[in-house]
Amino acid sequence: MKALFQTIYELIGQPQPPADTPVYRDVIFPNLGLLNWGLSLALVLLFYLGINRAMGVATFNKGRHWGIFLALNAVLAFVITLWQTSAQQATQHSYIYWLATWNAVLSMLWFFLFSLLLKRTSTNASTTPF
Amino acid sequence: MRKPTLLTLLPAVAATLLLTGCYSREDIKSEGGTATTPAEVPPTEVPGAVASKNTAAPSEASNAPLAQVNVFLEVSGSMEGFMPKPGGGAENTRFQQHVAQFLSDVNRSTAVQQKQFFRIKEKPYRDSYQQLSGTVRGGIQEPAKSTDIPSVLDTLVSRYYQPGSVSVLISDFIYSPKNAGAIPYIKTDITDALNRAGRSDLAVSVYGFTSDFKGAFYPALKTAGAKRASCCDTDIPYYFWVLGPADAVRRFDAALLSKQSAEQAHFGVTYPVPASSLLSKFQNQGSWYYGDEGASKRAAGASYHTITVAEASAAQPVEFVLGLNLKALPALYQDVAYLKQNLQLIGQDTDAKITQVFAATEQTRASSGPESGYTHFVKVRLTRLGKAARPLQVVLNDRRPAWVNQWTTKNDSNPNQSGAKTFALSSLVDGVQAVTTGEQDAQPIFRIDLTLQPAR
Repeated sequence: MKALFQTIYELIGQPQPPADTPVYRDVIFPNLGLLNWGLSLALVLLFYLGINRAMGVATFNKGRHWGIFLALNAVLAFVITLWQTSAQQATQHSYIYWLATWNAVLSMLWFFLFSLLLKRTSTNASTTPF
Repeated sequence: MRKPTLLTLLPAVAATLLLTGCYSREDIKSEGGTATTPAEVPPTEVPGAVASKNTAAPSEASNAPLAQVNVFLEVSGSMEGFMPKPGGGAENTRFQQHVAQFLSDVNRSTAVQQKQFFRIKEKPYRDSYQQLSGTVRGGIQEPAKSTDIPSVLDTLVSRYYQPGSVSVLISDFIYSPKNAGAIPYIKTDITDALNRAGRSDLAVSVYGFTSDFKGAFYPALKTAGAKRASCCDTDIPYYFWVLGPADAVRRFDAALLSKQSAEQAHFGVTYPVPASSLLSKFQNQGSWYYGDEGASKRAAGASYHTITVAEASAAQPVEFVLGLNLKALPALYQDVAYLKQNLQLIGQDTDAKITQVFAATEQTRASSGPESGYTHFVKVRLTRLGKAARPLQVVLNDRRPAWVNQWTTKNDSNPNQSGAKTFALSSLVDGVQAVTTGEQDAQPIFRIDLTLQPAR
């Protein structure tokens, strides 16, 4: 699992400064990865099963509503990265913002994949986004 | 059903907030810590990596006081010039001030349980502290004709040698062999004398001092007469020799002689491996990081000995700093000049070299980083390393300090010409070294094992 997250997050390059590599690989990457999955899954469940099934809201099932959740997901992923790196006392470096951006991109990917998996379970939004 | 949209959405928004808000920072931190740092930490495990054995286990007894110290003051005629009888001028020598102070320090010390004081004539005579201190201050009452250094050493090693106790011999160490033909055998004489009792863990620390000298000087070489009256314009050296089991000598040195501004040399004394750690955020350069297990935990006081290099080339060299805490070593081995000469890096498949050795500064001591805990720093630079983990050792070699030869003269018949030197000192020291090192090669003072590995 750790190796998987390391692979995914090091697609944008080695952590900087190099001295912080152990803490990124052992703590921050796995944390971000797991939190990201949890976050995306939670938002997808909320959108398809919460709003568009259990609560029966009929006016929040369009593509743009799905887009709002996608954007929310990305913003949260960005913020979570900043928070995690500061909680782990990673050295301030522009790399942190690149990592946060990459994490946001990844979170949108997870959101999209979870959407594909779960949209059929929804009653009102089973065809959102397509 | 247009209006209530926001209202119906409220629970959803609330749920969203809840999802992200119900964990406090600490919750997630600890959860993340336990959930994401499982026991297995594979990236750092490299087969063939040298297990670092740098966690020196200092003996538990090292804090307990020494059982006994025996202080021997030579009181032969040749020592009279160090301890002139107080005349009208009431001038004393540096020897008197220094030795009186040292005796007082020993007598007062809590690092030693029992203190005994002796005058050495033909054989040791037991004195009280007051008597011996009085001799130092007031001059020698009945000087011995001469004392023979090998027989004195023999006596100390065979009769006063006990675990946890040391003997301190204060003397000018002017050894005059019976005739000129015996001079080449000084080393052998000393070796035999120290070896007679067959002590396997014998250690000797030699401290050299100089003092003004007011009296008759008895040279070892009598070519220009057996004595020079009213000597000397130059300083004359005198020595403290600390003899005993290696562990006791080390502890005595640390307790009572660490602050002496003396030249020193140590033979057979062994020291615990000093605390050390790589410092990844102190004057580091290039792409490397700790490869030790648990490096990500960044525990306070943790030490690291594995360098994982992500990239190293001539254009992108790697520089790392190893912090050393040499506080427990004698001043000689804390001397940056000595360290620069004798610290050696032994590696495989790498061009790693020590580029800099420096002592702690105000800045490093006041730092909040781990560098504040170390007294000395060794900077290493490399541009190339092996394909897998390789051992890298930082070794402090034991080399005889230069002063021993500088203080040695072949002819002491006129100290005003030869200066503050002792006859055949290096031969005496050769004799000591032959006993304490035995047949095997000289052991380094310490050896710190590092591991150098490429990133995977």
